[in-house]
Amino acid sequence: MSTLELRGATKRYKKDTVVDNVSFQVAHGETLVLFGPSGAGKTVLLRMVAGVVELDEGAVFIDGHDMHDTEAEDRGVGMAFQNFALFPHMSAFDNIASPLTVGANSKQVIKAGVEKVASLLKIDHVLSHAPRELSNGQKQRTALARALAASPPLLLLDDPLRNVDAKLRFEMRLELPQLLEKQGATVIYVTQDYKEAMALGDRIAVLDEGRIQQIGTPEAIYLTPHTIDIARLFGDPVINLFDVVGQRDEQGTYVELSGQRLALNEDKAACIDTDSVLGVRPESILFVPEGTVNAIPISIEAETPLNEKVVTLALTEGSREILISRPAGTDAPSSGQAYVSIDQSALMLFNKNTGVAIGESHDAKNSDGVAA
Amino acid sequence: MQHHQSKLETVLRALALTLVVLFFMFPIFWILLMSLQTNETILRVPPSVVFEPTLANYKGIITGRLETSAASLEINFLGNLWNSIFLSVTSVTLALVLGVPAAYAFARLKFKGSEDIAFTLLSFRFAPPLLVLLPLTLYFQQMGLADTYIGLIWVYQLICLPLILWIVRGYFEDISPDIENAYRIAGHSWFATFRKIALPLAGPGIAAAGLLAFIFAWNNFIFALVLASADKQPVTVGALAFITASGIQYGQIAAAVIMSITPTLALALYAQKYLVEGLSLGAVKG
Amino acid sequence: MSQALLNIENVDKIYGTAASGIYAVKGLSMAVQRGEIVSLLGSSGCGKTSTLRMIAGFEDITNGQISIAGKAINNLAPVKRNVAMAFEGYSLYPPLTIGDNIAFALKATKLSAADVKTKVAEIAEMLEISDILDSYPSSVSGGQQQRASLGRALIRDADLHLLDEPMGQLEPQLRALLRGRIKHYIREKGLTAILVTHDQAEANALSDRIAVMEDGYLQQFESPLVLKNQPANLFTGTFIGEPPMNVFNASVTQDSDQVRFQLDENVSLNYNISEFTESVIQAAIKHESIVIGVRPYAVKRSNNGVNVTVLVNQWLGDQTHIAAELAGQSIVLVEHDRAFDKTGETISVQLTPDSLHLFDRHSGAAISHGTVMA
Repeated sequence: MSTLELRGATKRYKKDTVVDNVSFQVAHGETLVLFGPSGAGKTVLLRMVAGVVELDEGAVFIDGHDMHDTEAEDRGVGMAFQNFALFPHMSAFDNIASPLTVGANSKQVIKAGVEKVASLLKIDHVLSHAPRELSNGQKQRTALARALAASPPLLLLDDPLRNVDAKLRFEMRLELPQLLEKQGATVIYVTQDYKEAMALGDRIAVLDEGRIQQIGTPEAIYLTPHTIDIARLFGDPVINLFDVVGQRDEQGTYVELSGQRLALNEDKAACIDTDSVLGVRPESILFVPEGTVNAIPISIEAETPLNEKVVTLALTEGSREILISRPAGTDAPSSGQAYVSIDQSALMLFNKNTGVAIGESHDAKNSDGVAA
Repeated sequence: MQHHQSKLETVLRALALTLVVLFFMFPIFWILLMSLQTNETILRVPPSVVFEPTLANYKGIITGRLETSAASLEINFLGNLWNSIFLSVTSVTLALVLGVPAAYAFARLKFKGSEDIAFTLLSFRFAPPLLVLLPLTLYFQQMGLADTYIGLIWVYQLICLPLILWIVRGYFEDISPDIENAYRIAGHSWFATFRKIALPLAGPGIAAAGLLAFIFAWNNFIFALVLASADKQPVTVGALAFITASGIQYGQIAAAVIMSITPTLALALYAQKYLVEGLSLGAVKG
Repeated sequence: MSQALLNIENVDKIYGTAASGIYAVKGLSMAVQRGEIVSLLGSSGCGKTSTLRMIAGFEDITNGQISIAGKAINNLAPVKRNVAMAFEGYSLYPPLTIGDNIAFALKATKLSAADVKTKVAEIAEMLEISDILDSYPSSVSGGQQQRASLGRALIRDADLHLLDEPMGQLEPQLRALLRGRIKHYIREKGLTAILVTHDQAEANALSDRIAVMEDGYLQQFESPLVLKNQPANLFTGTFIGEPPMNVFNASVTQDSDQVRFQLDENVSLNYNISEFTESVIQAAIKHESIVIGVRPYAVKRSNNGVNVTVLVNQWLGDQTHIAAELAGQSIVLVEHDRAFDKTGETISVQLTPDSLHLFDRHSGAAISHGTVMA
């Protein structure tokens, strides 16, 4: 296990700043997920840590040592690539053995090392195959095995599940944490899939336009996203957003949606008389019978099943679109008029102009956050 | 209905291809025929394809004695052939040794002015050889390089180096940098990565570039004509010896041509798979 | 007149000669009714794209017949089939703006310029591309090009709309919304649509019925609900559903009052005979070695079920996925609430008789679904 720290890491290509003053720390044995849309700078950041991309400014510390003068081959990290990057002219065995052939390892030691990691990843039967003879799933496992072979204390995984099919991706998502646990490595995991990020990360660093937008536990990011953009990046279907203006009366702060009052906690008082955006996750909206208190009338446009959920697209009276998600198998109308109510404990509020969240735990951007 | 059409298509396509092949192969075929005839049968009027084949031309070239109707002449065509082989092989080898690492550097290290340098090197191929030949001759005479193998090999780099540099560079660029990154991160040095990953993966491209450079070097005429004297001349220049005072020895020229194209033809046929692959994956790429 | 709009009868597609060629589609028969949304779903090479291309007319039909609106189209040129298509590679005309691309198919109709403009604006708004109507395809993102291509197909008034991987490149944030809008649009206009996709989420979301294909054969052609609850064979059972169905090899024995599914030497699932129907038990015993399938959401916690050890617990915001060890394999549970079970903890789960799908291990054919024979 290693610790990793980035201080003010910056990379420019011509005039584009692809990584902009990024700082964070990763503790021993922690898994940090770098999450963001394509072009956010995740991959460049990971390559900086690996030592194959040079920093224009800032520094990378592994176990407290500045890596500025340490070449990639001397950093002792393992890395798996999105496109697998297997050596096409070598067998799976030689691919996996490549981190072990450095130094004076005997043939037996290398063979034992490869076989151990290959059996862990269930690819022992294809070790003699060339990469082009492997299925996509086997390629991906070979790439992982190569990264793990030398038991590196710091493991960099660059979207390793992106190029495998959905079923395999799901299987590996469940298998990976067990594998990483056995390795006991500190892990940086890059992904564009929010589910992978939430499932695998002890903490998630949300990257966009080369900057860290928020860093925190999956809970913190899903439940209290720092900006509208982050809220939109997490969750499927996407969060509902409604333009609102905060109001106040003797009962407290509230906003109105479709003529219904939605009470807000006092920490959201900053929205009063301010153009704001109300964020409601689709799963926080429930179908209710007609006549329920605070029920919002809707007309259903379409029902689209999604995995073990059913997503309903509906229009409110003001013709605002609203997405509602419920577990499959639960009863709800599939067309026509219906009523919903909103779980008020799950409301999010953002300033419309800045896009920044209003309310508790959004004050500090805590981009230097350290794992507990 | 459709099957009929596709059969007709096949026949037509085969016919068209045969015509094209005949058109391009005819000169070579004709030369082959000429090489098996004496000058008399070649020059008879009207010409005829019926003749009694003779190996006299080949024999004359190999023994080095050129028998014409007027006189007999010493000729050193085998020496020319040896010169061609020596010059081409050494030039290409040198160009590979210099060009492949340079191509790798141009492909992987984007340093200031790298594009300009690479382009300047390519531009050597644009300039007409005659333009550089005159000053070059003067320089070479001053430096004592005129009429030496070293001088010729040096000049041949003008032909080989840009070719190899540009084709091989494209090939290196086609290798995903991540494949090399992966090997380095696995703990191997820069040089080991070049040797174990980049070189083998660019292998077909390097072979193609080398082959092409060999053919260009082999076919060169003008540099050798000006810079080399008789004992250093390759076949392209050596063939001039068959234009004698007593006439042009068509039969022997043909035999010499056949002998001189045989090595390159054999090489090209052997390596044509690499050639196509190497060229299409390398420099041609947009 | 209950005649199907699209009729595919015994269609083969062979590339190469009949003797040595490659079968892309084998003996395909299916009918699509007017107003239906149907998906051809399968992994690459399953024959779905060949089928679509035969319907569109870009591929000859080797054997069999395809008819649209009662008219055989085998020898009809693509342009005469009255079919609109959105291509996987978008195929937008580069010299035309996005707006002109979408309007292109309407040029041939007798619509006035103003009407065309209104229709384009309407569809652009639905697909969230109003702001790029004046841009050229090369200057917009892949997702935007895909939406434009979809718009160009959907705006047309055609008998049949063929959509080839129509939403694969869509921005994830737009996916759920656009699926809803497009489904609504197709319904409202009464269009008949055939989607080709490898993404079952897309097929499930949009389709009335899904044709699951594999290896050139149609495996099952049913509504998403039927595919989930009554898969015809092990392939469809494990192919449909995210996360995939849990499967265990088992052998079946029967005591006086118990039916026993032995998963390995130590673990068996035991049920009172009264919980099952007699025919199901008899069928299962007759097959001897079977495969038991259980959908992840059907695995419920209980106080007196089977004990399993938690391997991993992953919270995804609105779902919890738990993998646990059962008989040396992993069994996956999906819960809609947050669960806090830690790795290594033991939990008790219940596999109720009505959640079990039984398949023959050799042929893969379904034996029963719950207490009902397949």
